[in-house]
Amino acid sequence: MTLIVRNESPTPERSTVWLEGSLDANSFSDFDETMRDITPLVDNGGTLVLDLSQLNYISSAGLRSLAQLRKQMHDRGGRTLLLNPQPQVKKVFDIVKAVPVKEVFASIAELDQYLDHIQRSVTGQG
Amino acid sequence: MRLCIPNRLEDVFQALEHADTTLGRAEVDDACRADVRLVLEELLVNTVRHGYPDGRRGTIEIKLEARTDAVRLELRDDGQPFNPLEQEPPDLPGDLADREVGGLGLHLARSIASGFEYARDARGNRVVVRFDPSPPDEPTP
Repeated sequence: MTLIVRNESPTPERSTVWLEGSLDANSFSDFDETMRDITPLVDNGGTLVLDLSQLNYISSAGLRSLAQLRKQMHDRGGRTLLLNPQPQVKKVFDIVKAVPVKEVFASIAELDQYLDHIQRSVTGQG
Repeated sequence: MRLCIPNRLEDVFQALEHADTTLGRAEVDDACRADVRLVLEELLVNTVRHGYPDGRRGTIEIKLEARTDAVRLELRDDGQPFNPLEQEPPDLPGDLADREVGGLGLHLARSIASGFEYARDARGNRVVVRFDPSPPDEPTP
């Protein structure tokens, strides 16, 4: 099994990365390298969305990559949100308890709602 | 399935593919296939990375018995003595990016397996892991 990474960056405030396949000891270094090109395109304070709906497997090596990504974004005042993790990935997240529940979303609508809420909090609306 | 591989990462990944093919042929359910892959990856990667600190060549033997209702995995290696059951579980929840949380993979492996045994004999380390797949056509309660 391999890993495919796709990226669309409609705005510098928010970039979405789709992961497909396996994020494991075999693929994590390629993933890290790809993300080193993608994350600088997101503004400081921006949001990186990782769409996990096609990621069917993760191991501890992959968990570490995701954790480093979260840290990099956090250090730049930004956030990393995870979308639609599949059963095996969700199970691993649950065992390790390394991903805050508030940063994982089941659907894009739920995630948009969360970001709207943050935006309103920042601008003092709502 | 019975495989003997050298203690090299590239051989580990080939072994993972072999194991998955074996599980697929035995019609083991997808969730259990992923569980076996995870445990096998974590244990084999750990053995290759830490089991031979002197850099010598070693051999890892993998036996996998797969049925739709039971999966048994046996690993033997000739690396330095290492009992995965004696490792302290990592401090969770913790930020994995801030520090090297040791034993994360082993913690995952132990959490996911239904049974986990370790023994050391003249041939080296021996780990036996059991899994409980969901048999097909299981009557709904």
